[in-house]
Amino acid sequence: MSLPLLSLDAFRQAAPTAADWQSLLPEILVAALGLVALVQALVVPAAARWLIPTVARLGLLGAGWLALTTPTVAGPLFAGLVEQDAFTGTWRSLFILCALLTSLIGSRFFRSRGADEAEFHHVLLVLTAALMLLAQSAHVATFFVALETATVGLYILVGFLRTSRPALEAAVKYLVAGGLSSAFLLMGFVLLQGLAGADPANGADPLAFGSIANALAGNPQSPLGLVGAALVLVGIGFKVGAFPFHGWVPDVYQGAPTPTTALLATASKAAGVVGLLLLVQGPLFPLHERLAGALTLLAAGSLLAGNLGALGSTDAKRALALSGVSHAGFLLATLAAAAKFAGLAGEPGDGSTMLAAMAPAILLAYLLAYILGTFATLGALAATPSEDDARRPLLGLRGLIARDGSLAASLTLGIGSLAGIPPSAGFFAKLLVLFALASVQSWLLLGLAVVSVAISIHYYFSIVREAVSRTEVPGERLVTRWQDRAVPLALGSATVLLGLAILVSWASSGGR
Amino acid sequence: MDNALLASGTLLDLAVGVPLAAGLLLLLLGRFLGRASLALAGNLAALPALLQLGFLLTEGRLGAPSPVGGFLLEPVGAVLFGMSAVVGAAALHKALRQLADVRLPHAYLGLILILWGGTLGAFASPLTTKAGVIAAYVLHEVALIPTFVLTLHWGGEGRRAAAMQMAIYLTLGAMVGLAGLVLCDFSPGQVGPSAAGLILLGFGALVSLFPFHSWAAPGYSAAPTPVSMIHAGALKKFGLAVLIAFVVGNLGAWSDLLLWLALGNTVLLGVVCLAQRDLKQLVSWSSVAHMGPIFLGLWVADRTGQADGLHAAVLLMAAHGLSAAALFALAHEVRTKAGTYRIDELGGLAARTPVLAACFIAATMASIGLPGFGNFWGEFGIFLALRDQALWVQVAAASTVVVSAVYMLRAVAAVFHGPLNPELAARRDEGDIGWTDRLGPLALLAASLAIGCLPFLVTRLLRP
Repeated sequence: MSLPLLSLDAFRQAAPTAADWQSLLPEILVAALGLVALVQALVVPAAARWLIPTVARLGLLGAGWLALTTPTVAGPLFAGLVEQDAFTGTWRSLFILCALLTSLIGSRFFRSRGADEAEFHHVLLVLTAALMLLAQSAHVATFFVALETATVGLYILVGFLRTSRPALEAAVKYLVAGGLSSAFLLMGFVLLQGLAGADPANGADPLAFGSIANALAGNPQSPLGLVGAALVLVGIGFKVGAFPFHGWVPDVYQGAPTPTTALLATASKAAGVVGLLLLVQGPLFPLHERLAGALTLLAAGSLLAGNLGALGSTDAKRALALSGVSHAGFLLATLAAAAKFAGLAGEPGDGSTMLAAMAPAILLAYLLAYILGTFATLGALAATPSEDDARRPLLGLRGLIARDGSLAASLTLGIGSLAGIPPSAGFFAKLLVLFALASVQSWLLLGLAVVSVAISIHYYFSIVREAVSRTEVPGERLVTRWQDRAVPLALGSATVLLGLAILVSWASSGGR
Repeated sequence: MDNALLASGTLLDLAVGVPLAAGLLLLLLGRFLGRASLALAGNLAALPALLQLGFLLTEGRLGAPSPVGGFLLEPVGAVLFGMSAVVGAAALHKALRQLADVRLPHAYLGLILILWGGTLGAFASPLTTKAGVIAAYVLHEVALIPTFVLTLHWGGEGRRAAAMQMAIYLTLGAMVGLAGLVLCDFSPGQVGPSAAGLILLGFGALVSLFPFHSWAAPGYSAAPTPVSMIHAGALKKFGLAVLIAFVVGNLGAWSDLLLWLALGNTVLLGVVCLAQRDLKQLVSWSSVAHMGPIFLGLWVADRTGQADGLHAAVLLMAAHGLSAAALFALAHEVRTKAGTYRIDELGGLAARTPVLAACFIAATMASIGLPGFGNFWGEFGIFLALRDQALWVQVAAASTVVVSAVYMLRAVAAVFHGPLNPELAARRDEGDIGWTDRLGPLALLAASLAIGCLPFLVTRLLRP
C-alpha cells in the first residue's frame, strides 16, 4: 500500500485538470481579491482609499453571482480532495454574504479606530475563500487545512484593534480555545485514519471521507472509530460554540471588535455547521444512531446553557454572544433530527432524502435568517458610539429611539428575527426546525426549543426595552453617517420582508 | 347596493392591507407630515375596514376569498373582524385626538395603525387551512410587537415592568400554542390530547386564562389608552378564535381543567376586581375576569357538542370587546378631566361632567350585562347552555353577574356621585367632554346596543 503523493506516477495521475480549477473559480476569485486588497494598499494614494472596500465588495458580488450561477460538478475533483453537491453554490454564497456584510459594517468601524482597511479586507477575503472551500471538502486534508486557514484569519481579526486590551485578551483566549479544538479535531482524524488505513479494502487513501465511511461501516463497534468520531465531534463543538465547549464564546465575542463578533457569530458558526453536516453525511454516517444521541445532547445543552447564561447578562454584546450558543443549539438540533431520520433510510419517502436535501436546506435557511438578524443587530450596535467597543452595557442603549430612531428600529427588527418573533425570517427558520424535530418525534428537543425561545424573550426584550423606552430627558441626537444607519436598517427590514415573502408564497400555494 | 367589492374579496384585502401599509409609511415618512395630514392619513386608512363592516352588516353574508392576501371571513372570524373594525376605529379616533400631546406623533399613529391592521388580518385569515392559520398567527404577532413598543415608549406608570411581563407571557403562550399547532399539523381534524393541551394553555395564556392572567391587568393599565382598547377589546380575542377552531370538540381529558380555570377567571378574579382602587386597574381586571364566562361557553360547547354555548360565547366576545374598549376610553376621559385614576381621589364628578358620567354608566351597564346591550345575550346564552350542568357550576357562573355589578356600580358611585371630592373642587373645572371626544365611546355603545337589540346581526353570520 503506497501513499499516492509519495509516488511520482500517482502524483501525475492526480494532477489537477483545467476542469478542476474551473470548478473552484469563485474561491479563486475571492482569494485573488484578497491579494488585490494588499496590492491596493501599496499603490493606491491616500485620497483614493475608498477604492479598497469598493473593489472588494464589487468583487464579492461578482463571486456571489458566479457561485450561484455556475453549475456544480458531479463526482470527485482534485483527485478526491473536493466534491460538490446541489447545495455547494448556496453555501458559497452564504459565506460571501457574511464577508460582504462584515465589510459593510466593519470598514468604517476599523478605519475610524485607526486600523488598516486593506489588511482587514485581505484577511477577510482569504478566510472567506477558505470557508467556501471547506463546504466542498471530501478529504480530511482539505477539511482541516481549509478550517485552519479560516481560523487563523479569525484569530487576526479578533485581535485586529491592537491597542484595545479586551480585544487582545479575546484574541489570546480564542487562540487557546481554537488551538485546543484543532488538536482534538486532528487527533480524532488521526484515529479515524488509523482505522481506515488498517482496512485493505480502502485502497490508497485512508484520509478520504469515503474510506473513513467504509471503515466505520465495516467496524461500527471499533473503539478506535468511536473515540476518533467523538474527538472530531468535540473539535467541531468548540468551533460551533456548542455546550459544553462554549466557555470561550462570551469573552471572545465581547472582547472582539463588533464587526468581527458578527463574523465569528455567523461565518465561523456556519463553517462549523457545514463541516459537521459533511461529516454526518459522509465519513461518520455509519455511526448515525450514536451521532443522533450525541448531537441531541449537545443541542439540548446548548439551548439551555446559552439561554440561561444570557439571562443574567447586563451587557448587550455578551447577551448576544450567549444567545449565539442557543442558536448553535437550534442548528445542532436540526442535525440531530437529520441523523435520527437517517435510521429510516431505505423506506420509501424517508430519511436519506432528509439528510441529503432537507437538512442542508433547513440549516441554510436558519443560517440566512440568523445572519440577517445578527448583522442588523451588531451593525446597529457597531454604529452606536461607545467609549469602549468591548463594553456595551444595556443602560448605554437607554432611550436610543429618541437619539436615533433608525438604529433603534434596526436593533428591534434584528433582535425580533433572532428571537423568532413572527413575521420575521427568524420565526420561519425556527418553525422549520420545529417541524423537523416533530417529524422525528424528538419531543425532548422540541420542548426544550420552545422553552428556550420563551427564556430568550427576556434578554432579547431587555435590549429592545432599553432602546425603545421613553426617557424623561431625551439624549442628544447621535451623529451617525447615513451609511452606518442604512445597512442595519436594510438588513432588519430584509428579515421582515423575507418572512412576509415566505408567508405569501406559502399562502398562494394553498398551504403546501 | 353594489356588492361587486364584496364578491371579489378585494375590499377585504384593502381593509387589512391599507392600515398596515399606511402604518409602515407613517413610520418611515410620517415625520415630514404635519398634524393635519397625519389625521387625514389616519382617517383614510380606516375607510376600507369600515366599508367592509358595512357590507357585513347589511348583506349578512361573508363574501369571497380575497385575491391577494388569501383572506377569507369565516363565521367566527367575521364577527370578530366586525367588532375589531368598530373598536379599532374608535381607538384610532382616540389616538388622533392625542396627537398634539404625544412625542413622535407619526410613530405613535403608525404603530397604532399596524396594531389595528394586524388585528383585522388575524381575524380575516381563515383558520381552516394551514396557510390561513399561519397567516393568522403571524398577523397576530404583527399586532403584538407594536403593542410592546407603544407601551414602552408612550405608556404610563409601570410601563417597563408591565411590557416585559406582557412580552414574556404572550410570547411564551404563542410559542406553546404554536408547538401544539405544529403537533397537529395545523389541522383541527388531527388534534390529539397533547396538541389540545398545548393549544389550550398556550392560546389560553394569550386570553389571560387563569392562572396565566397576571400580565393582562398591569399591561392594560400601563399601555396608552388606544392600545388597551384594541388589545383588550379586539386582539386578545384571537386566542379564543383559535381555541374555538382547534380545541372545542377535542378537549377530551382537558375538559375538567378548563372548567376549573374558567371558574378561576370568573370567581377568583371577580374577587380581585372588588379590591381595586384605581379606575384603569379596575377596568383592566374586569376585562380579565369577563373572560371567565366566555371560557365556560367554550367548555360547555365542547362537552355537549352543541353550538348554542359557542354562539353565545362568540356574541359575548364581540360585545365584551365593545364594552371594554368603551370603558377604557371613558376611564381615560375621567383622568383627563380629573387628573387621576385613583378612585379615592375622585367623587361627585357627575356634577361637572354629566355627559361623561352618562356614557360611563351606560358602558358599565353594558359591561355587567344589562338587557339591551350585546353582553346580555352573550352571558344569558351561556347560562342557558349551562342549564344541564351541575348546579354548583351554574351558581358559580351566575355569580359573575352579581360580583361585576357590585364592583362596577360601586366604582361608578365613588367616581361620579356623592359630593365633589375636595381635591377635585380645588382643581380647575375643565367642563364636560366635547362632541369629538364623545364620538368614539358613543359609537362603541351604539354598536353594543345594536347587537343587543338586533342580535341576528351577529347570529346570521354564525349560521351562514
